[in-house]
Amino acid sequence: MAQVTRPKIISVTGVMAIIFILLAFPMLFTPSIKRMGDFVPMILGIIITLQFVSVIGIWHMKQWGVQLFIVMFCIRVITFMFLELYEFRFYFNIFYSVLFIIFFLFHYKKMDKNL
Amino acid sequence: MVITLLKESLVFAWHALVSNKLRTFLSLLGITIGIFAIITVFTVVDSLERNIRGSVQSLGDNVVFVMKWPWTFGPDYPWWKYMNRPVPAYKELAEVQRKSKSAEAIGFRIASRKTLKQQNNTIENATVSGWSYGYGKVKAFDIAEGRYFTESEADAGYNVAILGANIAEGLFPNNQYPIGKMVKVAGKNCKVIGLFKKEGESLLGNTMDNQAVIPYNFARLMMDVKSENNDPFIAVKAKAGVTNAQLKDELTGIMRSIRGLKPLADDDFALNETNLLSKNFDGLFDIVGIAGAIIGGFSILVGGFGIANIMFVSVRERTNLIGIQKSLGAKNYFILSQFLFEAVFLSLIGGIIGLLLIYLLTLVAGNVVDMEISLTRSNIILGLTISVLIGIISGFIPAYSASQLDPVEAIRST
Repeated sequence: MAQVTRPKIISVTGVMAIIFILLAFPMLFTPSIKRMGDFVPMILGIIITLQFVSVIGIWHMKQWGVQLFIVMFCIRVITFMFLELYEFRFYFNIFYSVLFIIFFLFHYKKMDKNL
Repeated sequence: MVITLLKESLVFAWHALVSNKLRTFLSLLGITIGIFAIITVFTVVDSLERNIRGSVQSLGDNVVFVMKWPWTFGPDYPWWKYMNRPVPAYKELAEVQRKSKSAEAIGFRIASRKTLKQQNNTIENATVSGWSYGYGKVKAFDIAEGRYFTESEADAGYNVAILGANIAEGLFPNNQYPIGKMVKVAGKNCKVIGLFKKEGESLLGNTMDNQAVIPYNFARLMMDVKSENNDPFIAVKAKAGVTNAQLKDELTGIMRSIRGLKPLADDDFALNETNLLSKNFDGLFDIVGIAGAIIGGFSILVGGFGIANIMFVSVRERTNLIGIQKSLGAKNYFILSQFLFEAVFLSLIGGIIGLLLIYLLTLVAGNVVDMEISLTRSNIILGLTISVLIGIISGFIPAYSASQLDPVEAIRST
């Protein structure tokens, strides 16, 4: 199995994505999210965790990482819309995620298809 | 297939945890402390919130209070203007009653500290409230024994009283039956006709347990009805389907006409509602909750690093075992799930221990503090969710690196 060298732009976006995702984690504890329902923090937590997992996949230059990142981005946007969380973080998340997806797709073909 | 994989991964993870008991204990301690810190704060905040909300609701959430002073005010609060306002008067109650179309019930209340006496038993500085008959329809309360006073008793100012549980215990010790007996309220004889059901402590201090209620027309014989120290107010309960805003609009018009205020003159009364109190408390609890989340978040972060560290050590220790497993046909996802399960297991056990500690703490606290403190379902779900997610986040990188090992190089490693 040939090791694919990670481009610098993927390294930079990967680190930024991990920071942004982990910064979103404390959101689960906020009283406003807790008040939305017993299972809302759980759903948002699963989305954030899977986004984290997807970035680890991208870091290792795996195609599944990009696929998972795109799927989780869509789910996150739909969930936020469903919960009516139209805050700064919602728009910021769309902004950086779309930007990262463009970078990731640009290098998608170079990535490994295996797990 | 998936179930077999899960079962095998669980067995592997379990053996790894059991074979290194001290390491397992130390690494799950971080998560235990983290979950304990964060969920304890949420449990206490939720319990306080529930208690205060219950106290506020007992005042009535569809009730508007006509008072001299507003309950909330901003930075530009012109208190010097409010000083000269008159206090609500009993005669205004009849006018409001006559003019209001949105009110279901209207009542007047005044309260003061008085001495209660029954033979040799005395309670000093007890809260004695004078209620109009209608206030009994506005305020939520339960009568345990006896009855509420009748409309004619209230209008005629009969010397009758309904006692709170603590007042009754103080005046009639040793389980004496107080109904029908006489007590002295500020030196005046008064017949006990009812007992309020025990409510327990209230954080707002508005429990009926420490109050004696008498008709307003009897209370005015012993209280200065024009003194704002006696906190007189008119309480108006909205009819079904009438919002508080609609009721406030109507009351503003009625009170302005009663007081003969000119069109450009400011209101000389305040219309307060309980949701103003709730909103203030919401803000306070949000701040406490966020502070707790930050403190607990850092504890969990440390716990997560601890688990990640232990998992890296675990992968390093078992590198040649991974090599053997892979050379015998184990797939990458099997190795990945094995280590991931181990991390999630560790974290989940830590979280469960943390939740158990909180549960024990709530049992102890429930006996010490006269307030219901309980671990709610939402906090249990949150605690378990955080534990599992921290396990995945901190265990994924070591597990994934283990799954990517080359079998030949892994077997060679010592």
